[in-house]
Amino acid sequence: MTIRQVIMMLCVLLLLTGCIPNDFKFENHTDEDASKAEELLKKDNRIKGVAALFHDDHLLIGIRVKTFSRFNKRGIAREIEKKLKEEYPDLTVFVSADSKILTETNKLILKDDEKGLKKKIHHLISLAEEET
Amino acid sequence: MDKEKYAKLEQEISPKAPLLKNVIKAFLVGGTICLIAQFIALFYMTFFDFTERTASNPTVATMIFISMLLTGFGVYKKIGQAGGAGGAVPITGFGNAVVSAAIEHKTEGFVLGVGSNIFKLAGSVIVFGVFSAFLVALIKTILVKMGVVSW
Repeated sequence: MTIRQVIMMLCVLLLLTGCIPNDFKFENHTDEDASKAEELLKKDNRIKGVAALFHDDHLLIGIRVKTFSRFNKRGIAREIEKKLKEEYPDLTVFVSADSKILTETNKLILKDDEKGLKKKIHHLISLAEEET
Repeated sequence: MDKEKYAKLEQEISPKAPLLKNVIKAFLVGGTICLIAQFIALFYMTFFDFTERTASNPTVATMIFISMLLTGFGVYKKIGQAGGAGGAVPITGFGNAVVSAAIEHKTEGFVLGVGSNIFKLAGSVIVFGVFSAFLVALIKTILVKMGVVSW
């Protein structure tokens, strides 16, 4: 393979990996109404991807913000958390703009296994709150 | 020959540095180093319990470790020659500066040779690094207080 082919392949790969689908996923294991959160998050045009998991008394949300809003992503997460806390006063709401939280929440939704879910949610929250 | 005349003569004789070419080279080499570091950060985030925020520490440590190995094997010299500032500015340049000084002064003994000279080049990196960190923190504090960015 010539060097030109390698460079071409790398370019194509890098361009294609930019197209990872950003979708809005919601999973509800409680009797709360998830549509309120859905509406709030879909209306916000700074957000391009969401994974939200309602479980027991917890609401765990990972968000992906648009590139130029990334400078303020913690502020956006805090703002949304505040709004959602008003909407769901009975739930412990946690919102994070960290991509680790988004991917792990997505994994939990895909796995669809309620056993030990609460422990995993607690683990994720403690991870996200770590500073260093 | 006075000072001005000499400066003029020196300008005429010395070959012109290909500025644009050097800039592009530095951009490509530095960018490649950062791309590798991004993949390492992703690796730590995917397979270990690190978040975007905490993954930076092990990533920096890994990058320094790799550059130290490459310096020892004499590969980083070539990267630095090709990339110029692109090889020196990322954290890998720091690892290179520490290890190359240590290798150079190894013959003078471990205490007075390696120990006292290991930060000969990297010392200035630390001094100006601390100073610029102070300045950046100051600017960020002001921006946060003004509400432009968040912590």
